[in-house]
Parts: sequence; C-alpha cells; structure tokens
Amino acid sequence: MTEYEAVIGLETHIQLNTLTKIFCSCKADSWNDPPNTNICPVCTGLPGVLPVLNKAAVEKAMLLAAAMNAEIQSISYFDRKNYFYPDLPKGYQISQYNMPIARGGYLVFPMPDGTERKVTIQKLHLEEDAGKTKNDFGRRLIDFNRCGVPLVEMVTGPDLRSADEVAQYIIRLRQLLRWIGVSEADMEKGHLRCDANVSIRPKGSSVLNPKTEIKNVNSIVAIRDSIQTEIQRQIREVEAGNQIESWTLEWDEESSILRKMRSKETEADYRYFREPDLLSLQIDEKWKTEVLSTLPELPLQRRARFVNQYGLPLYDADILTSERSLSDYYEAALRAYQGEPKRVSNWIINDLLRMINELGISAAELKVTPLYLAQIIRMVDDNTINNSTAKALLDKVQSSGKEPAVIVSEEGLAKVSDADALDGLIRQLIANNPEQVANYRKGKIGLLGWFVGQVMKETQGKADAQLARSILEKHLNA
Amino acid sequence: MDLCDYAAYQLAWMIKRKQVSASEVLESTLKRIAIVDGIPGQLDGDISAEPDKIHAFISLTAERARLQAQRIDQAIRAGEEVGVLAGVPFTVKDIFCVEGTLTTAASRILSNFIAPYTATPVARAEEAGGIMLGKVNLDEFTFGSSNESSAYQPSPRNPWNTSRVPGGSSGGSAAAVASGEGCLSIGTDTAGSIRQPAAFCGVVGVKPTYGRVSRYGLIAFGSSLDCPGPVARNVSDAALLLQVMSGVDPHDSTTANLPVPDYVTDLEKPIRGWRVGLSPDYFRLTYVNSESGELEQQPIPEEYRQAIYRVAGRLAEMGADIVEDVPMPHTKYSIPAYFVISRVEAASNLHRYDGVKYGYRTQQPVKDLREMYRKTRGEGFGLQPKLRILMGMYVSAAQYSEQYYLRALRVRTLIRRDFETIFDPNGKYRLHALLTPTTPTTAFPIAQVYGDSVLMQFADQLTVAANHAGVPAISFPCGFDPDGLPYGAQLIGPDFSEDRLLRLARNYEIVTESDQWRKRFPPILNNLPN
Repeated sequence: MTEYEAVIGLETHIQLNTLTKIFCSCKADSWNDPPNTNICPVCTGLPGVLPVLNKAAVEKAMLLAAAMNAEIQSISYFDRKNYFYPDLPKGYQISQYNMPIARGGYLVFPMPDGTERKVTIQKLHLEEDAGKTKNDFGRRLIDFNRCGVPLVEMVTGPDLRSADEVAQYIIRLRQLLRWIGVSEADMEKGHLRCDANVSIRPKGSSVLNPKTEIKNVNSIVAIRDSIQTEIQRQIREVEAGNQIESWTLEWDEESSILRKMRSKETEADYRYFREPDLLSLQIDEKWKTEVLSTLPELPLQRRARFVNQYGLPLYDADILTSERSLSDYYEAALRAYQGEPKRVSNWIINDLLRMINELGISAAELKVTPLYLAQIIRMVDDNTINNSTAKALLDKVQSSGKEPAVIVSEEGLAKVSDADALDGLIRQLIANNPEQVANYRKGKIGLLGWFVGQVMKETQGKADAQLARSILEKHLNA
Repeated sequence: MDLCDYAAYQLAWMIKRKQVSASEVLESTLKRIAIVDGIPGQLDGDISAEPDKIHAFISLTAERARLQAQRIDQAIRAGEEVGVLAGVPFTVKDIFCVEGTLTTAASRILSNFIAPYTATPVARAEEAGGIMLGKVNLDEFTFGSSNESSAYQPSPRNPWNTSRVPGGSSGGSAAAVASGEGCLSIGTDTAGSIRQPAAFCGVVGVKPTYGRVSRYGLIAFGSSLDCPGPVARNVSDAALLLQVMSGVDPHDSTTANLPVPDYVTDLEKPIRGWRVGLSPDYFRLTYVNSESGELEQQPIPEEYRQAIYRVAGRLAEMGADIVEDVPMPHTKYSIPAYFVISRVEAASNLHRYDGVKYGYRTQQPVKDLREMYRKTRGEGFGLQPKLRILMGMYVSAAQYSEQYYLRALRVRTLIRRDFETIFDPNGKYRLHALLTPTTPTTAFPIAQVYGDSVLMQFADQLTVAANHAGVPAISFPCGFDPDGLPYGAQLIGPDFSEDRLLRLARNYEIVTESDQWRKRFPPILNNLPN
C-alpha cells in the first residue's frame, strides 16, 4: 500500500491589537460591544469618505514581519480587491496585492518529539477586515463593527506535512504574536484565523497535487481535526481511483465533518488595482530601526538560551517561555536570587504557576514580585524558614503585598532552631507522654515520627525538624 | 445690477462694513433664483420643461441659508471676527456631502441619501462665513460634459442661450454663477468638469493641483483624477474661494502637506517676463476613426484659435513672453487613457451603491441577495454609470488589465512627462504656463451630442491632460463666438502654481477691462422684473 504524505500551506489572518481601526479612528476591538456601535462614515463606506492609514497598524505589521524573519519593504502599496458582499460596505476591500509590506521569511519551530520544522512565509500584507453577516430567520443581519479592523494576512509555503505540524505551527505563531504584543491571538474571538490548503502525494514525491481549502477553523483542535479528516478523505479518494477536486470546504465543529462550500472554478476576479485614495507606504531606515528596536528576544530564542545559559531542562525552558511575562519574571527572580537557576525554575513551575492560573493573572501582575520570590527562596536556603512555611508565605505575600521578610518577622515564622528552646520543649513532651516513651523504648521506634510531629505542632511548624529529631533521639535513647 | 450680481469680494467687503447685511444679499440672490431658475431638477422630470429657465438647482436650502445669514449678521453686529467669505452666497455641486442635506450625485440611486457629514471644502467655505444656498445639478455621478445625463430633469441650461448645454459635469455650478444665483460655486473636475462648463457659461473655473484641495466628502468618480475647485464670475473671487478650500486635510491622505500661498494679495502684480507657451497640439483635435481605428486629427475652429492667440497678444502687452511651437506630443492619447483609467476607478467607486446600507433599493420582490443587487443597481443607475461600470469591469479584468489598464497608466506617465518637460526651469521651454483653448467648441445645442458617449468625451480633449498629470489649470472667458457664446481660455501650470495662473488670468482681466465684449451679460438677465 502506498504511503502518503500531506502537503499543507496556510493563510493566516492576524487581527492586530491596535486601539483604533486601520483607516479611521473607531475603536478596533468590539468584543462584547453591541452590533454597529463602533462605526463611522469611513468604515461603513458612506459616499465621499476616504481612508487614512493608522501608523500603529503599520508598526505592528513591521514587528511581526521582523519576528517572522521577513523582509520589510521600503515601499509598498495598497490595492482594492473588488467584490460584492453585504458586509463589505465599500464593495471593495483595501488590501495589499503585489507590493506587500513584507516578503519572504520563515519560522523554525520544535515538534514535541524534539525535531524541528521550518515553515517559509511567502508574503505578509496589511488589510482591513470586513463586517459580519448573520442569518436570522430569512433575514440577514449585518454588524459593521469589525469593518476596518486591521489584519495581517500571512501566507506560508506548502511546507507542512501533517495536521500535527500545522497545530504546532499555530501554537508557536500564537505564542509569538502575544509575545511581541501585536495581537491578542485569541482564536475563539477570531484574532487568529486560519485557512488551510491541503493536498496529498505519495511519500517521497515532489509533485503538488490539486488542493482543497479548509475555511473557518477557529481553534487548534479544529485545525488538527479538520486537516486530519481531509487528509484521510483524500487518501480514500485517491485509493479509490478518484481525482481530488479543488473544493473549498467548511469545517463543522459540532459534527466533525467537512462541508463543501463551493468549487474553486467559480473563483472571482477581484480586479485588483492600486487604491488611489492612499499614498504608497514608505518605510525608511530610520523608522524601521526605531520600531524594530522595541522587538524583544523571541520565545524560541529565549527557550534555547534558558537551556544553554542556565542549564535548564528543555521542559522547564519550554514552560518558562510559554509567555513573555513569565520568562521575564523568571530572569528577574534569578538575577535577584543569584543562585541555582533550576531552583528558581522549580519554585515557579511548582508553586507560582498554580497561583497565576488560579488568579487568572499574568506573572507581571503578581504581588509576589521576582525580588520577593528570590527573598523567600533565600530564606529557605539559609534555614530561616522551612519549606512549608515558605509555601504558605507565598500566599501571604500575594494577598497582602508585604515583603516576605516583614511577614516572617511580624508573624514570627522563623524556624525554631534554638537547641535550648527545643530541648526544654522536648523534655516537657517526654514528661507528658510516658506511655509513648515506654512504647518507643520497647522498640516501637516508628514513634519518633509522632514525637517530631508533636514538636512541629507545638511550634506551629516552625521547628527545625532535623534538630528536633536529633534532640528527641538523644533524650529517648538516654 | 442687483446685489446678487456683485463680486464675492465686494460683497464680503460691504457686509463686513455693514453697508449691506448678509440677509439682504441672500434675499437678493433668492429672488434671482426665483426669477431665473424655474423648477428644480427632479426624478423623472420633464427634460423640456420651462425651456427658458436655468434649472441649476436640485435642492435649494433657503431656510438653512437664512439661518446662516442671520448668524453672520449677528456676529458682525456684535463686532465679532468673521471669515473672508462672510455673507457671500455660494452653491455646491450635488456631489459633495453636506450634513443634513439631500446629497444625490444626480442619481436615482442616492435620491434619498441625507449626508451625515460635511465635505471638507464645503465645511471650509462655511467656516469662512460663506452662505450655502443649496445643491446644484450635474451629470449623474459627474459622468458627462453637458449635464444632460442627470437623473434630475430638467437639467441646467446655458444662461447665454438656453437651447445650449451649460457644459458639465459642473454645469449647475457654472450656470448658477453666470446667472447671479450665488457668486461662487464649488465644483469638481475629473477631466475638465469645472473648466469646460466655466468656458461654456463665460465664467472662471479652477482645477487645482491634485492634492491641493481635500476630496473628503466628494462622492468619488475617478479618485486619482478628481479635484474640487471654485467656479466664480471673476478671477479674484475664484482666488478667494480657492484660498479658503485649499490645504492639507487629516481626512484625505492624498492632500499635500505644503503651505498654501496667498492667492489674493499678489493677484494684480505684474507678469513681466513670464513665459507663456502655445502648443500646436492644443489647437487640433484627435478622433478615433471608428472604421479604421486610426487616430485622425482636425484643427479646432479658426475663430476659436484666433481668440486664444488674441489672449496671448494681450498677455504679451502685460509683459509676458509668448513661446510658440511647444510640443505636447502625448496630448492626443489623453482621452483614450482617461477612458480606461476613469472607468476602472468609477466601476470600483460605484460598488458601494448596492441597496444594502443607504440610498435606493428596488421595490420589486426579489428572491435572493443577488437579485436585490441586480434590480437595485439596474433601476438606480442611469445609462452613464452602467456604461462606465461595464467598461471599467472589462478593462480591469485579470485577462485584460495589462492590455488596457496598466497600459493606460503608462500613457498617463508620458503625459505627465510632457508637462514636466515644458515647465522644467532648466529646460528648453521654461514655461510659467501653457495657454490653450479650454474646449474644442463653444456650448453645443442640447440633445446634439448626448447619446454618443464617445463623442461627448471629446469635449474634454483639451482639459483632461491636466487631470492625468495632476497639474493645475484655470479657465477664464475671453470673448464670444459669432453666435454670442463664450470662448474659454485655459492656462495650465506646473504643480502648485495656482497663484501664478490666477495672476496671469487677473492680468488678462485688467488688460481687457474696457473691451466691448466685457460689457455683455447673459440674455436671461435682460428685462429682469424689479
């Protein structure tokens, strides 16, 4: 039986998180706003209006282009893509066609098995979003809020070979978008939309067969499932001796099936031509340098550096770089701590992440600042507090915002490691529990643990357990 | 002579000094409109109704104007600072959005559209104290050169002879200004739509440099060619209105961020040594032979040529150097290139009129969205928009774009280069301006050309090159033909040379001030009742 491989290319639409729309000053983000509230004559295409390009959208596109290793073009143009649809109020979409803001580029991303894949980017262009149409019992309702929301469309080469690779790519892309701050990249809210072009071929072949396009997939799971489903369908068709036709398919998430939207042969001629209402977009070196100077170290680079520089396991590095503020937090805490990197990583992964997730905040918003965390770990290291005190302290700092050392001294949380104090307490304990002492001395040495527990109880957990144990042994074995 | 016949600059001066009130000027103008204008254009109106009236208006907003005039009068009484157009009545071509007014583009498809915002040039004229009288007629969506294609009939008539067209597409503007229905009008020029009707009606019209005046609020035809500009009875008034309209606009990113010179103060300064060119390419017309497809040429009427050469002579009297035989070799391709470019842009600009959001929607039952679009656009658009949509779609289709649209853009570059060559200050010609006839003929009879949309377009033959190149041009009256119809002379200059063109034209006014032909006025103003 022939072994097949899939050939997949993606068109991703990324909603930039600018405050205002791309060609007018209406609010760009309309999540939870009633329909048709963030609109004006410009974005609803009234007669006589003209677009004015939002500089912030251009700058975010530049950052994304640089992060994708794409070449930012010193001159690019806007074009009109003409078609009729009720939610496209001008009857054309202002987009970029043959002279986009950036060309080329690639992203190298890891697969869970440790291998790496590379996706090439053919072009990256700026455009405006259209509105939303909703069918309502034979009527069509149109919401223009989304009209004019800035999008970057990014087209990849046919470089992906499986549904899992697509999913990993999208996960890494989403991470990158949030990391560099150009998009909220929330797929459920349509900030990151993905159309996949899928074809198959015998493994080892280099031909490109007719492809189908899957539209409307708005979660990682849907992307993976729909592509997987389509690959299987194509294999079945080819095995049955049928041709693959260039269909456009729509993923129905509820029933996990692909529906045919239309045949590709009827594809429209958009009659692209230069948008005469906008000047060419010129990006000089000075502007480019200014904008790109704000580009942070990228997540996969930082992940690799965490492994190399700090000797962290890949697992730790991956988690710590899942989000930019977490990785910044880690490095700040490590700098303050000045000790073993893995130790700080453990504290974050084991304890702080739980707190972050429970509170639904980012690492940057924690009241347990990196400095405070370092202070807490230090106090454990030098035996000022024990582990369980330290963990309880995290919550206390988070709820009060007070410095850990202040809480320790106010609440007297420091470990009882004064041998004299413990000695007195233990003598008292032995005197009060003759029965247990007798049993111990008869050979039930497991009772030592019970005695240690009593000491901890008496000291509200602050006793140095190691010290208590040795004093107990001394008295019990006397 | 009534108050409404005074120049705008005179009225502004008199009103500011309380010699007359803005309301008096307005009432005089409204009275003139009542006498000469007749019924306004209306949908399904009778094209031949009241053949001796002007019919410049689509909607007269007299009450709005009265409120504005009262406000100006109050401000002046209160000693407040008022703008340079304070109390001056003006009309607006009904292709500009004016908040709260019907804005039709002379098309059924916008016959119920009340604009929710005001176009920048109009807003600036109003901020300067101008009193907007209402919206005047035009060719549907500005697609024409005679005004006959308006969906609002009767369409305007030429005040010098009401059996003639006023020109177009700013025909309502030119006819209104020539008849005393407002001293000024704001028009638009895509291929000659200000200059040609100005020439036909014996008034002054300016097409500014592309980017000098904001297009925000102008319902687009050919976005890369459209220029709003002033229509006035004299050069000084045109300068005054242009001054107010000009300058960068944050709503139009194609406006030039350059300072606007003072167009008014230096108008009467001398033009000694200025080089004014005459090009043989502007004294012959080029037609396509419909049988052979070849371009054929014929001279413009001899009397018209002489009229323009007389203008050159008078400018020479004022000290200008006349440079003859200036080659403008690509002028003859202006119309074919325009035909393609303007239609591609027009077809796209007309996409938005779909019956979904505003404007006309078919009243017939429809089975689906597609049918709603088809019926709405089929019923809502007149012949001209339909022809232009079809042609525009065709020449920009993927398989024809290279052959037509992209080729036309290259021709446009060559046309621009012709102008760059003659205006190059270090070149052979070093011209300050090129002097040409504005039109191939004087105003033609109603119904003579309309229906032949190719022939109609040749009315723009001498004006459209300036739109391709983006350079400024002015048309001003320079006498009459044997039938008593005005001749128009055109001066075309390099980018942002409006100040020079106005000064040349004003110098011509000065030198011809006592000419006999200057004493004429439109026959429709004969025997006005008191």
